[in-house]
Amino acid sequence: MTSLAMLRADERAKAGEAFAARGLPHRRIEEWKYSDLRNTIGANDVSAAGSVAWSLPHTPQGLEVLDLSQDEIPGWARAHWGKLRGQGVMEDAAIAFSTGGLALRVPKGTAVREPFHMNLIAGGHGRVLIVLEEGASLTLVETHDASQALVNIEYEIALGANATLQHIRRMPNAADAVRVGTVSATLAKSACYRGHFADFGSKLSRLETNLTLDGAGAEAKLSGVAVLAGKTHADVTTHIKHAAGDTASTQLFKLVAGGQARGVYQGRITVAEGANKSDSRQTAKGLLLGERAEIDLKPELEIFADDVKCAHGAAIGDLDAESLFYLRSRGIPEREARDLLIHAFLADAIAEIEDEGLRAEIWRAVEAALVYAEAAP
Amino acid sequence: MLEIKNLHVAVGGQEILKGLTLSIADGEVHAIMGPNGSGKSTLSYVLAGREGYEITQGSVLYRGQDLTTMAPEERAAQGVFLAMQYPVEIPGVTTMTFLKTALNAQRRARGEKEVDAVGVLKLVREKAKALNVPEEMLKRALNVGFSGGEKKRLEILQAAVFQPSLAILDETDSGLDIDALKLVAQGVNALRAPDRAMLVITHYQRLLNYIVPDRVHVLSAGRIIKEGGKELALELEARGYAQIIKDAA
Amino acid sequence: MAAANETRKAETKLAVAELGEKYKYGFVTDIEMERAPKGLSEDTVRFISAKKSEPEWMLQWRLGAFRRWQEMREPNWARVHYQKIDYQDSYYYAAPKSQSNKPQSLDEIDPKILETYKKLGIPLHEQMLLAGVAVDAVFDSVSVATTFKAKLNEAGVIFCPISEAIRDHGELVRKYLGTVVPVTDNFFATLNSAVFSDGTFVYVPKGVRCPMELSTYFRINAQDTGQFERTLIIADEGSYVSYLEGCTAPKRDENQLHAAVVELVALEGAEIKYSTVQNWYPGDEDGKGGIYNFVTKRGDCRGNRSKISWTQVETGSAITWKYPSCILRGDDSVGEFYSIAITNNYQQADTGTKMTHLGKNTRSRIISKGISAGRAQNTYRGLVSVHPRAENARNYTQCDSLLIGAQCGAHTVPYIESRNRSSRIEHEATTSKIAEDQLFYCTQRGIPAEEAVALIVNGFCREVLQQLPMEFAVEAQKLVGISLEGSVG
Repeated sequence: MTSLAMLRADERAKAGEAFAARGLPHRRIEEWKYSDLRNTIGANDVSAAGSVAWSLPHTPQGLEVLDLSQDEIPGWARAHWGKLRGQGVMEDAAIAFSTGGLALRVPKGTAVREPFHMNLIAGGHGRVLIVLEEGASLTLVETHDASQALVNIEYEIALGANATLQHIRRMPNAADAVRVGTVSATLAKSACYRGHFADFGSKLSRLETNLTLDGAGAEAKLSGVAVLAGKTHADVTTHIKHAAGDTASTQLFKLVAGGQARGVYQGRITVAEGANKSDSRQTAKGLLLGERAEIDLKPELEIFADDVKCAHGAAIGDLDAESLFYLRSRGIPEREARDLLIHAFLADAIAEIEDEGLRAEIWRAVEAALVYAEAAP
Repeated sequence: MLEIKNLHVAVGGQEILKGLTLSIADGEVHAIMGPNGSGKSTLSYVLAGREGYEITQGSVLYRGQDLTTMAPEERAAQGVFLAMQYPVEIPGVTTMTFLKTALNAQRRARGEKEVDAVGVLKLVREKAKALNVPEEMLKRALNVGFSGGEKKRLEILQAAVFQPSLAILDETDSGLDIDALKLVAQGVNALRAPDRAMLVITHYQRLLNYIVPDRVHVLSAGRIIKEGGKELALELEARGYAQIIKDAA
Repeated sequence: MAAANETRKAETKLAVAELGEKYKYGFVTDIEMERAPKGLSEDTVRFISAKKSEPEWMLQWRLGAFRRWQEMREPNWARVHYQKIDYQDSYYYAAPKSQSNKPQSLDEIDPKILETYKKLGIPLHEQMLLAGVAVDAVFDSVSVATTFKAKLNEAGVIFCPISEAIRDHGELVRKYLGTVVPVTDNFFATLNSAVFSDGTFVYVPKGVRCPMELSTYFRINAQDTGQFERTLIIADEGSYVSYLEGCTAPKRDENQLHAAVVELVALEGAEIKYSTVQNWYPGDEDGKGGIYNFVTKRGDCRGNRSKISWTQVETGSAITWKYPSCILRGDDSVGEFYSIAITNNYQQADTGTKMTHLGKNTRSRIISKGISAGRAQNTYRGLVSVHPRAENARNYTQCDSLLIGAQCGAHTVPYIESRNRSSRIEHEATTSKIAEDQLFYCTQRGIPAEEAVALIVNGFCREVLQQLPMEFAVEAQKLVGISLEGSVG
């Protein structure tokens, strides 16, 4: 029997080799077209970044939290650990250059009532494994307050039948940081993944979500807002694979770019052959506030089944001049009128977050960020 | 004209019609009334030949021929017309193009000469006028953005253009206000002819004030449970389905 | 009723089996050909250039392209899969021997060629032509006839084979050739630049509204031969021209390469309307044979208030790789792309457009209708890019896909990039199938299933079909029906 430590060393070595061979992704790599990591950070800085540190103020009842740097880990974690990851080079980096990791588990039929907060207090590479067994549910709220040079986290998530995970990420502005998060999740029958975030930009920020809807009735609901100012960047990349029929996905993303900021959405929906009665909606909208800002959208459909409902909509523009005029003609000063319209633009994406308190916190952060986004350069 | 004997029909493995027997002679107008879920629409689809309606027992003879082996378009060419409860929208295909295509397909199937565009236009205009269907409607895509009344009027217009031998009207009154209802009924009455039979399927009696049937059949749970003359409709209206079903049980 | 369905299924199978016969342009004209030696080398390039009696600058241009091409790699980003093309196992020049001296009048054309075009429905005798359409007929590597030249001359419009234009209007060609699609643009365009043999040249002078529709009919006839045509259209200030092209090829089990380049230049206030009905042989129902269609088409709205409009109906070819694009350079210029791409059996299409907004108040509109049946794969790939100086640029894109059958694929890959805040871009896409209730409604009214599919698909495509000139629209509608035969079951 090889020990866990040996297995882990082997896994890390392989990932390290892969990272060295592939190098940092750059704009010539289709998936990284709008987010050139090679131009943003050195490969040495990536390999030297070490491991992230989390602060976990409170573990709610029903949730099991495990530090994976210890030598003995239970069967459930071993069963999934490293098996759900995708093929991304930054996942290689996270595996190669981090030690340990966090594993969360909610046992069968358990609904964890209180949200679990994970606060990132030091940057580096990290791994998170989340296992929700049949019928379990959890709300996970992440706040990334670290502003170190690099944060690169790899998430592997297994949702059992009827399990529901609400995964919220708050990404405050960190102008000098490079942030990459890659979520890989597999959803069994009638499982639901709700992923919501608010990203206020960093030097390069990339939140990638790869979901496989593996069982009938599985559902993905993704939403997010990015409010960017200065020279910040935020990239939302999603790939939802409807591997089974009778699955549903909705995506709603709103990007606001002021100054010289750049907002990116790349979303691909795949409906596999035979995955009939899949229903998939995708909306991505960009609002350009800065004269030198840029927004890039790539909403992609890849359909191999005929009995499906798929639609996407994408739009980029400034605030609607007519609406602005209408509000001003009713006596609302321009500044306020603009704020009102920007709020309206963002509202439906933020409304997707179920918890009222969280919504309010995100709105406060959005308002603070808008002051910068609306200011010239 | 139409002989239905002991008809059993299943949809998705579930039996909806459970031994329905009905016969309509040339020139007659029959009404089928029944509560929701009694199998009214199933009957209309089975007669028109929609896929997914499996005949497990019984027979349907139309002018002495076995109707059940024919494809929907063959039935149409042979004179079976179904005015649908929910006429389907076909974007990009103008109503006029559709009418011409269908009319000529039917004629072709019967070995008749096709009618040219001018001929079709003339024919359609003439019928449209009587039904108060504006010219502009004929230029729009088929049923797309039509109101409920417009859709139903267009169904009757098609019956007038195609001149079927057996017209089945499935809930043609649903969603119509009183003026539209009168107009549609007038159109239907104009179609009454000694060599044409009609089957009017409805939930409410009010349509039958305007289209007076020769016979009324009450359908419940897949069977005809009561038959009678036009006065049966009034009885139904007065006493309600529940009571009639109870009496018949 | 089950029996009726069985009967219908059997009929559908029969229709599928017959589909190979449905391509009515699949015949071969038996005619003696003169070819360049098989394979591709500098000598091939020199051979072609000499055949065309080209000036030295043209030869050097070609050789430059050839050298560049040797260093290039075939692109692989499109969603098309095909066996590696052996570029040495093909002929790059094939011309009917009887045409070695370009006929001066229609009476001198080889009757076999006249017969071929007649069979294709393109009569070349002017008295037989539809009024108002001038035709340039390209047979393999050469233009065999150009009609209405005299009448066009009167208006000052130059409409001739490009090989002739290189000789007779050298300065004009030299000024514009390669300025929209540079020699180095992409693998296939560079190959074309080295070996293009014929194609059409159009110049419409200032302020002239071209008095008739211009068209080119491309025919591949020879075996193992690639067709590399090059078309250059220049609309000078304030002029207007509408140009149509059609294409067919014989049925063969081998794949044949077609790599064309089309360049359009619209100067200030000019408008070019370019329509294509592409019906190259699509291969048989098992995916055997068919044309590999790798085409680079691009228009440059070089002047202010100019307009370029592309309309394409793509029903043929085993593989279609084609992105007719617009560079909206002039202020207030307009670009349009209307497309129908139909794939059946094992056909693969990866097609779309690029709208590059450079000038102020530039507008673009993209309407794409993709229909996929059988085991075909149909991809829309498009780019809308708004540059920082393109104040008030506008784009609207509508991309709809229709699937017929459970084994085909429909894909949408739009890139939307904006770097100007006063611009506005809207993009919508849907994927659907022909609804069972639509089909039933039609059959209930007596329309047979196959005809109903054609009717519904034509409705789905209507917005694009309406863009075609009348004579073409009717043909295209029929083609939609024919292309989808055997697709319902």
